[in-house]
Amino acid sequence: MTRIRKAISKLVGGIQCMLGGLASALVFLVYADPSIRELLAATSKEVPLYMFFFSVFGTFSILSGLVLVREEDSGS
Amino acid sequence: MGEKRLKRELGLLHAVMMGIGGAICAGVFVTLGYAATLAGTSLIVAMILCGIINFFTMLSYAELGASIPSAGGEYTFAKASFGGFLSFATGWFEWISNMFYAAFSSVGFAYLISYIIPAVNVPLIAVVTVAVFTLINIKGVKETGLTQTVLVIVLLMLLGVFIFWGFLSGQNVGMFELSAPTGFLGVLRASAFIFVVYLGGEAIAVAQAEIKNPGKTIPRAVLLSCMALIFLYTMMAFVVFKIVPAEALAGQSSPLAYVAEKFMGPIGAGVITIGGVIAALTSVNTSIMAHSRVAYALSRDGYFPRSFFNLHKRFNTPFIAILAGSVFTAAFAATGIVNFVTYATDFGFIIGFIFVNLSLIKLRRDNPNLHRPFKVPLYPLTPILGVVTSLLLIFFLEPSTLLIGVELFVFGLVVYYIRMVGYNRICLAVGGMNLGVGAFSALLAYLMISNNLLMPLSQNSTSLFSSFALFVSITYLIAGLLNITRK
Repeated sequence: MTRIRKAISKLVGGIQCMLGGLASALVFLVYADPSIRELLAATSKEVPLYMFFFSVFGTFSILSGLVLVREEDSGS
Repeated sequence: MGEKRLKRELGLLHAVMMGIGGAICAGVFVTLGYAATLAGTSLIVAMILCGIINFFTMLSYAELGASIPSAGGEYTFAKASFGGFLSFATGWFEWISNMFYAAFSSVGFAYLISYIIPAVNVPLIAVVTVAVFTLINIKGVKETGLTQTVLVIVLLMLLGVFIFWGFLSGQNVGMFELSAPTGFLGVLRASAFIFVVYLGGEAIAVAQAEIKNPGKTIPRAVLLSCMALIFLYTMMAFVVFKIVPAEALAGQSSPLAYVAEKFMGPIGAGVITIGGVIAALTSVNTSIMAHSRVAYALSRDGYFPRSFFNLHKRFNTPFIAILAGSVFTAAFAATGIVNFVTYATDFGFIIGFIFVNLSLIKLRRDNPNLHRPFKVPLYPLTPILGVVTSLLLIFFLEPSTLLIGVELFVFGLVVYYIRMVGYNRICLAVGGMNLGVGAFSALLAYLMISNNLLMPLSQNSTSLFSSFALFVSITYLIAGLLNITRK
């Protein structure tokens, strides 16, 4: 049971880190790439809001992912 | 305690070269064009103005470096004066900024190489560059200092050729006159834009635990490198406007190479390109040394893993701190999205400037009897001017720079509290937030699928975003459960 839990923690933590990395990259891409803004249907006034949202989500996801991966490490 | 084990092997020449090499980056070779469109020939005034702003803060570096010559630079100063989270935040920004700066410089170097040999793989060259300088840094501080000294001397010789040839050249655009097409505001905007060319000189403070006779050497090295940079940049700007009018620089990808070609022929463009290559290498070298010393100091005080404090038995360098930071640096360099992270570099360096000046003021008040081999003249006016001018620079930064800075700050805040607060309480808090994000994503997915979302989305976008929201929801709900059920 513990081994399965550790494996799930590692997997979910890894996915969260990846999602966080993706969101952090989107902070820049929303600012710099018009095609991304078009995909998100974001007007120029909404760009800072999107950037803020992706910043918060990215930071939280990376931290949460690290906490889970660390659980896996500290338990082993 | 620990840095007694770091050897003091850097003399005045090494330290001065560390300061000059840390500041002259590839940016110097490309930023002049846009700055000239903002300030015209008054770019010379902007260069001097930036040098003076930099000088205010460098005086603070000189006093604090001579009084507290321990590893860690700004972090050590902030720790001695403020302690707690403020000192950690200073070290955190310093650590991250230097890693980003190393990544940016290595990619800059790789791009310059790709101009000469177009077939090369840019990310690969950048990663190899980081690896080579990581090895040099592990090998020993003496080797790092020697490499830096040789590279900076060659760089100064190349820039010297550019300046003297330019002065002696009969080619000129006529009588030199200071002009500013958009007035003094344009000069100020140009100053904020080109200030980056002075950043990095504080590398001397980071390496101060390895500088011989710090009470005398650190102030001399800081002030000499600062004056040398003002002289060098002003002379370069003067030669540029002697040869071509300011308008001719607009849109040039490498304005210095363009000007050099005008009066030196193709050899001039070559000289400047080689100069750019060397400038990028010196920046990589300095920033790898800087981030490792900050991580070493943060580890000494319990903020970073203890292993970062270990010194190599043979080479006496913090090899784990060097390796760990270099892995991050290489990863950033390999992604090719370095522009994204370079925004954070400026923010981190300017935060460091503000805290150094504040630390000086607080230490003067709290600890007036501290042995100070060098004292900032005109105290408290000088450090206050340092704080004010650094704050002004923040207002001129791009909005995305500020956002990334805030994100890094929040990230640092959480890392600090994870170290300071009980880990189980952190897990519970993160678990609760995960459940919240999971429930919100599930609601978002439902609203999208049922067409009740107020935002207009196309059919393709709706299915894409709703699937993604569902995936995020499941992931975060599982993460939340794992966190709150942790034993």
